[in-house]
Amino acid sequence: MEQTEQVNQLVECLKEVYDPELGVNIVDLGLVYEVQEEPGRVWVRMTLTTPGCPLHDTILGAVKWVLQEHTDHKDVDVQLVWEPQWSPEMMSNEAKEMLGYF
Amino acid sequence: MSRLPFWFIVTGILGFIAYHAFSLLSLTGWLGDELRGPEGWFHAHLFVLGWATMLAMGAVYQLIHVILQSDIYSTRLGYIHYVMFSIGVIGMLYGFVRADVRWLAGFATCALIGILLFGWNMAVTLYKASQWNPITVSTACACLYLVLTGLTGMLMGLNFAFGQWNGLHERIFGAHIWMGTIGWFGMLITGFSYKMLPMFYLSHHYPVRLQKVILLLWNAAVITGVTAFLTDHKEGLLWLALLLLTAGMLVYVYHLEQIQEKRHKNNPGPGIRWSVYVSRALAAFMVALLIYASQGPELLLHARVVLLAGWLYLGGWVSLTILGYASKIVPFLWWTHKYGKQAGKPGTPLMAGMLSQRHVNWGLIAMVASSLLLVSGVLINLAEVMMVGGTLLSVFSMAYIFMIARVFKH
Repeated sequence: MEQTEQVNQLVECLKEVYDPELGVNIVDLGLVYEVQEEPGRVWVRMTLTTPGCPLHDTILGAVKWVLQEHTDHKDVDVQLVWEPQWSPEMMSNEAKEMLGYF
Repeated sequence: MSRLPFWFIVTGILGFIAYHAFSLLSLTGWLGDELRGPEGWFHAHLFVLGWATMLAMGAVYQLIHVILQSDIYSTRLGYIHYVMFSIGVIGMLYGFVRADVRWLAGFATCALIGILLFGWNMAVTLYKASQWNPITVSTACACLYLVLTGLTGMLMGLNFAFGQWNGLHERIFGAHIWMGTIGWFGMLITGFSYKMLPMFYLSHHYPVRLQKVILLLWNAAVITGVTAFLTDHKEGLLWLALLLLTAGMLVYVYHLEQIQEKRHKNNPGPGIRWSVYVSRALAAFMVALLIYASQGPELLLHARVVLLAGWLYLGGWVSLTILGYASKIVPFLWWTHKYGKQAGKPGTPLMAGMLSQRHVNWGLIAMVASSLLLVSGVLINLAEVMMVGGTLLSVFSMAYIFMIARVFKH
């Protein structure tokens, strides 16, 4: 993911959103593919660990809420994509360690 | 999320408590008796319909959109199903206690209408989703066997009331039990596990080819078993059905290993771990039973062998798998209901914090140990051991389910 300072701030906000089952935030899980701030809106492209994830509504709702809360934008567009497919290798080292990956 | 799964799961938990409370009240005396009598029917139906099926139906309503990535065809139909099935089961159970055929007929019809509505709802949902893979096919087969189990149950009820079918009644009874246990529960547990286990183990890139093999073997076992009973060729065909089922179970256990090999989460929680352990244990028992029955297929029909197999399959594998999965499903259901809209907000608890995993582990260990004591009593035909095992199982089971139910206090 492209890391400009502007994007970095939004990514930090998204670290508040946890997968409630795994207990790891969605950024460290590698679920967030792209974040952009455009005039009047924030745009997020992300995925989930598995299609049909039962936490689909919860996680997407939390992403919207967090971004609306921490930015001036009320228009938050979350695009859920399955390509590229999420893979455990996308997790950060911290997330891997938390889940006993190593 | 709809509250429909919640109603089924809570009612199933109440059914589980009632089953163990009645067991304790009767000091589990019915355990060693012939199950074919009003008291045996009462306990068996309370366990199978009031607990296991009720909870399984709730799990289907909760997980079907995870599996299909589309909603159930009609939630309203689901609520009508819940009302009809619950009233039907409660009335049937009272009918068994009173041994009143007319009462039983009325409420069994109610329960059957509930099952048919469930079958219809699932059929339309699956047809609309048109997503045919081993998970959805297993679910579809499980629901079909449940409907057939209900219909054969009704046939037996009609025979009690009006018919004089004599030999045919016994044949339908065998098919009814086989489809309900091996068909409905077996196909649902295996099919759902293909989705649940990878989800909780965070497994990716595992092979799925064996899922089709299991599906074929399991269906072949159900059909062979049903044919064995309906055609009254039990001594020959029942052993073959057990052979097919054992092969299916062994491949299933091997496939669970494949899923675990590709895991990226070290600990999926004790509930999921125990569901794997009890599957291995059942596979080992089935191999032993197969070898034992190879000395003479008629051995499979001995009352004590049937009782032992019934306890290990239903009281062991089916019930313990459901109890293990419940330690994941119930916190998820309640967390989503209570905190789903607060995710990301400060102070929102994690799902894992709603239920002590250490307590879940000890609860499952206690239930497995007392189950083993109970089946040991059946094996050596010692009523005292069965009574102690059964009493401990009921006490530990109630403690476990109360612990699960405490999640609702969060």
